[in-house]
This record gives sequence, structure tokens and C-alpha cells, in this order.
Amino acid sequence: MSISGRLYSVATACLLVAGAVPVAAQPTTGQPSTISLRGYVLASGQRFTASETFETIFGQSVQPFWGAGLELVDAGGFYLDFGFSRFKKTGERAFFFEGDGFGLNTPLTVTITPLELTAGFRFNPASRVVPYVGGGIGSYGYEETSDFEDEAFEDRHVGYLAVGGVDFRISRWFGISADVQYTHVPGILGTGGVSQEAGETDLGGVAARFRVLFGR
Amino acid sequence: MSRLRPLSFLILSFLIVLSVAAVVGQAPPARRNILSRFAPRAIERGVMPDTTHAPGTPETRRRQSLRAVAAVVDRTNRSGARYRPGKVIVKFRDEVTAASRLSAVASVPGRGTMSPRAASQNFDIVQIDPATDPEVVARAFGERQDVEYAQASYRVYPQLVPNDLLYSNQWNLPLINMEAGWDIQPAAGSEIVVAVLDTGIAYTAATAQFNAGAFTIDADGNVGPPGSGGTAYPALGNLTLQFVAATELGPSNRFVSPRDFIWNDTLPLDLNGHGTHVSGTIGQMTNNGSNGQGDVTNGGGTAGVAFNVKLMPVKVISTQWDDIFGSPNVGTDDVVAQGIRYAADNGAKVINMSIGRVGPSGCGANQNQDGCAPVIEDAIAYAVNKGAFVAIAGGNSYDDGNPVEVIAEIAERITGAVSVAAVNRARAHPFYSTSGGYIEIAAPGGEFGGFGTSGGILQQTLDLGLIETFDRPPSQYSAPRFDVLAYFYFIGTSQATPHVSGLAAMLIQQGISNPAAIEGALKRFALDIGTAGRDDFFGFGLVDARSSLRGLGLAR
Repeated sequence: MSISGRLYSVATACLLVAGAVPVAAQPTTGQPSTISLRGYVLASGQRFTASETFETIFGQSVQPFWGAGLELVDAGGFYLDFGFSRFKKTGERAFFFEGDGFGLNTPLTVTITPLELTAGFRFNPASRVVPYVGGGIGSYGYEETSDFEDEAFEDRHVGYLAVGGVDFRISRWFGISADVQYTHVPGILGTGGVSQEAGETDLGGVAARFRVLFGR
Repeated sequence: MSRLRPLSFLILSFLIVLSVAAVVGQAPPARRNILSRFAPRAIERGVMPDTTHAPGTPETRRRQSLRAVAAVVDRTNRSGARYRPGKVIVKFRDEVTAASRLSAVASVPGRGTMSPRAASQNFDIVQIDPATDPEVVARAFGERQDVEYAQASYRVYPQLVPNDLLYSNQWNLPLINMEAGWDIQPAAGSEIVVAVLDTGIAYTAATAQFNAGAFTIDADGNVGPPGSGGTAYPALGNLTLQFVAATELGPSNRFVSPRDFIWNDTLPLDLNGHGTHVSGTIGQMTNNGSNGQGDVTNGGGTAGVAFNVKLMPVKVISTQWDDIFGSPNVGTDDVVAQGIRYAADNGAKVINMSIGRVGPSGCGANQNQDGCAPVIEDAIAYAVNKGAFVAIAGGNSYDDGNPVEVIAEIAERITGAVSVAAVNRARAHPFYSTSGGYIEIAAPGGEFGGFGTSGGILQQTLDLGLIETFDRPPSQYSAPRFDVLAYFYFIGTSQATPHVSGLAAMLIQQGISNPAAIEGALKRFALDIGTAGRDDFFGFGLVDARSSLRGLGLAR
């Protein structure tokens, strides 16, 4: 099994756990647990730091990610988040010349699979509106394929993230959150392709994330 | 009856007088009379050795001198540019009224008249006294506030260095990774229109009548009208000549919007073979060795770069036979400018200009100095703005003092037009390829020295041995034949340029519509040869079809 295949398996298992734990973890006494586990699904739009690169290949530098994850939430406000997301899109092979990018109409498919671990603090966690901040580390998978097999490329590197946002508790078991997450992912871009031409080395960016939360 | 006799006599006498007058006072016979669009099947002679085209041979010198064989003898300025007496190209500013233009024409030296503008002109042709130096008149016009630019009508020439050896393969196409390029884009430029501004193309059958006048060649090899000194070649009188289409260029529906600016009609027949050869490199039929198409006699002949493109024959270069037959126009800057504009207005996405002429340096800073070609620069900018990519031969005069090629130099100033240098089979600089800061890209142009019989660019064209009968002594001089095809090896930046045009057509087929982007792709993916980085011999390097068409991934 490939690295990405294993990562999918892990992510799926996490989601299953995320769905099951909130129910299993309900205290029979009605008293809140000090640590709860909750799951979420997310959609985000990320403006890539490598904006010229992504604009050249895909036509714009803001691209969508879809994902899911779990959070361990401490009653005191600390939390630990493990998330998985994925971006996959087909653009076109291109080139960059004297400051301008030009597409060549030859399909190029890029897949990005971040696995992120975030630790942070939730302010006033008992309230309906809960601001939070956090920081973390991630493993960012990158794969590109086209008609040219010898140009296929796959890599995974460590990156770093910082996040801040707000949870809105809609019901006891259901909430939503909106946050802004900044990621910095060196080591994948900048050594070849359009990214090298554009002099861009960061696969990260700033993402506006929207999450639907399940669990307390 | 008796009363009718005097009347009949009078009528008969009148008719006789009319007939005699018609013969005696007849206008000169039509210079070209197209009798039909039919000619017998082409004679295909296969690969022909041609030992008469080596640079510096007496035949070559004579051939070059024949370029000037017209009733009007060209002048040459200090930079070596030849120009036509009797006319000046003037571009008045847009807001200048017709009355003001006429007033301006009357106020400069050599006062003359203005010809009506053709649709393909945004400039005026001012006819002046042939004894007045057009460059002087152009300078006078150029100093006026109401004039954007003015120039003499400089002659342009094909960028051919004729060959003298026989080779047996097309090394030039693998050299630019063409096979891999075809893998990426099997359509090879389908439906893209490439205009070939050249000597015409052997694209259709025709039978035409010409009148070949006498001309002379003096001891120095200068050619002039009868009586101007030197060896006299006799008039051949009216000639009925048959023309055939080059079998390897494909069916007639492949050719679009043909136009002849030398003969002012829509039948740009090639009386030289240069344009047909250039067209072959752009789009010769390919992979037709066993499908019964093209040149069956020679197993499908040769291949071309973008073998599915449409070709637009635009004749803007007059050659020896055009001159001997007395074509109404010769290949000058204004004719070329009209050709460029015509091509752009009629849907050409690529314009191949395997032509050039020398001139002064610094036309970018001062286009009104003698020898510059602002009328061509204006036309190229117009074409690029209309979405056409322009490839221009870089010049063949490196070993002749390496003078500035003013048309190629224009390309360096216009993004979307490129000047093309040549490389030989070893990816090295051939002896002729002009160098300079304006050289932007390189492509195979070939060289014979050191490469045995495999150094030229092979394509089908007209049988030169049967065309260039003026290379023979006067006693053996005879009518040319344009119904025999053969394969010839040519060298020159004329041969390099169509590689670039063909590849540009494939890039357009790939979806790149912006001429600037095409230029960018060609430069970015060129194989860097010579001095690292851009240099004056090869520009950004040797074009590479595979890399240009493949482009780059995001991270690799």
C-alpha cells in the first residue's frame, strides 16, 4: 500500500472513532466529562502562498479542500485536533516566462493531502460562542500526474500551522466553527516546475475553514 | 448595289487601318496572362545534387546580381541597403487631413504625387522624381511634425544560402525533438493558418503566358536593362509556361487566401523555389510514405514540422524571373508591409518571413535614419496585435561583415515576433548565420562544410536546374520550366525560420493564442547552446519541440 493509501486508512479509522466515541463517552451520571471527543467535517478555501504558481496551473490561487477530523477537548479549554483534508484538481501544464505564466492545455492533476495535528486553547468553553487559537504540525502529501509518466511526482513534507476562530454551539451535540488557518509547508515546491520558475517554495497558505462539529 | 460599293470600300479601308493601328500601336504584351489553372502532372525527379549554389561561385554571384534586373536600377546606401528610386514611404499622423498630406508632398524635395492607398496600407507611397535621392526625401519628410515616419523603399531578399551538396536525410527534425513533439500533438497544427511571405508557393497548377525581355550582365556581375553594359541576354519573347503544385505540400484545399503583391493578383506562383522549400519545412506532408498521397514516386518525400497546418501563400519577394518578366512590383519594404497586414487581416496565426535586408544599427532609437524599416515594424506590430506570431530570419551575412539585419532586428523590439538564427548539424554556429543582440532563438539552418553530404535542410521544391537558365552562358539561355519537382538541400536562416513557425503553429494548436506566450515558450524551453544564457549567436538557444509542447508541472 502506498503512503497515501495508508493515510486514507488512518483517516477513515479516525472518522469512525470520531463518530463512535461521543456516544460511548457519555457519562451515565449526567456529569460532564473533563475530556470529550468530537468529530467534524470541514470545507475550506485556501489562498496558496504560491499564488502565481497556482494561478498559472489552475487559473486562480484560491482552491478548496475537503476533510474531516477529531478533537479531544478538555473542559478547561485545552484541545487537541487531528485533521485530514484533501485537495484534488486538474489544471494544465504550463510555463512561466519573464513574470507571466502561460497554460499549455495539457492536463495536470494535483493532489494535496494534509494530515494536521493542532493543539490549542478554547476561551470560555462553556459558553455558546467559543473563540479558540492553536498551533501545530502537519504532514503534507503532494502528488502531481499528467500524460507524461516520467513527469509524475510524489512527495510528503512536514509543515507548520497556526489557527484561530470561533465555535458556535447550536445544540448540545452539534455546532459549527469558522476559523482562519495559516500553514507553512516548505520542501515540496520551488525545486522544479512552474513553482521554481515563479520562485515560490511554500505549499501552504491562508485558509478560511468552515467546520460542522458533532459531539460536545 | 453600286451605291454600296464606295461605302463598303470605306468600311473595309477603315477596318484595315484599325487593324494595322492595333498591331503597330499595340500596348506592350501583357506581362503575365494566366491562360488556365491547369497543367500536366508534375515531373518528380527525386533528390537532386546541385553544385551551382555554393556561396561564392560565379553562378551564385550572377544569381545574386540578377535580383536587381529590372528596368529601374536600385540604389545602395552606405549601410549596404538597396532601395528603389522614384518613391518614398510616408506615414502621416492619423489626424492629418488628405489636403495637408498633399500639401506636404508638394513641399519636400523631389515633389511628386501620392498613389491611392491599398486596403492593406496604413501609409502612403509618394512618387518622386527618379533622379532625386529617396533617402534625402524621406529625411525631409521625417523632420515634419505631421509625419510619423518616412523611409525609402528598400529591397528585401530571401534568406537562402544556396547549397552545392547532396544529403540523404532530415537530421534537422530530430535535432529539435520533433518526433516527441508529434507524440504530444499528433494533430501537428491542424487548421492553424501559417502565412508564408516569400517568393510564392508551387501550390496550384496553372498555365501562364509571360514576356521575357532582354537584360545584361556587366563584367562586375551587375545586371541592368538592355544597353547598360555587359553581357547581353536576349529577349525570349512571349513564353507559355506550365506550373505544377508541389505534390508534397498536399491538396489544394490546404491553401487559403493566396495573394501576390508582386503581380497584384491572387495567384502567387513561385518562380524561384525558395518559398516552396520554406513551406515544406513548415508543413510538408508527413507519414505519407505508404498511403498513396503526396509524392508517391519518391515514397512520400520528406516531412514537415506542422504537417497539418493551412498555408497562406503571400508573395512579397520578386525573384529573377519576376524581374525578367517585368513584374509590376518588386520586393520592397512597402510590399512586405502590405503582405504582413494582408496575412494578419486574413486569419494567419503565424507569419513566416524568411526574408531580410541589411541596414543601420539603432533603428529602435531612431527609426527615421536612412536604411531603417519603420513601415515593416509598424506592420509587424499590427500583425502581433491582431494575434499573429511572426518568425523572421536572422540573416545570412555573418561571414560578410555581419551587418545589421534591420527586419530581424525589429523582432527584438516586438514581443510576439522572434528573429531566428541558424545552427548546423552539430548544434554549432554555421558560417553565415548573422549574430547580434537582436537574435532571439535558433533552429536548424544547416551547413555543408565539415558535414559531408548531410548538412543541409532537405525539402521538395521546383527543379532549380531548370529554373535558373540565366546562370548559363547567353548561347544556352532558354525559357525556364516550373513543372518539374525535385528535392534540394538548402542552407540559411531562411531554412531555420520555418522550423520556428511550424512549432509556433503547434503551440497555437495546443491552446496558446497569445503571440507573446508563444515567444515565451520557445525561448523558455530552448536548449541553451553556445555561451550560457542568452547570447548573440543563438539567442536563448535551439528550439525544442518536446519541451515547448510539454511545458512544466507545478512542482516538477
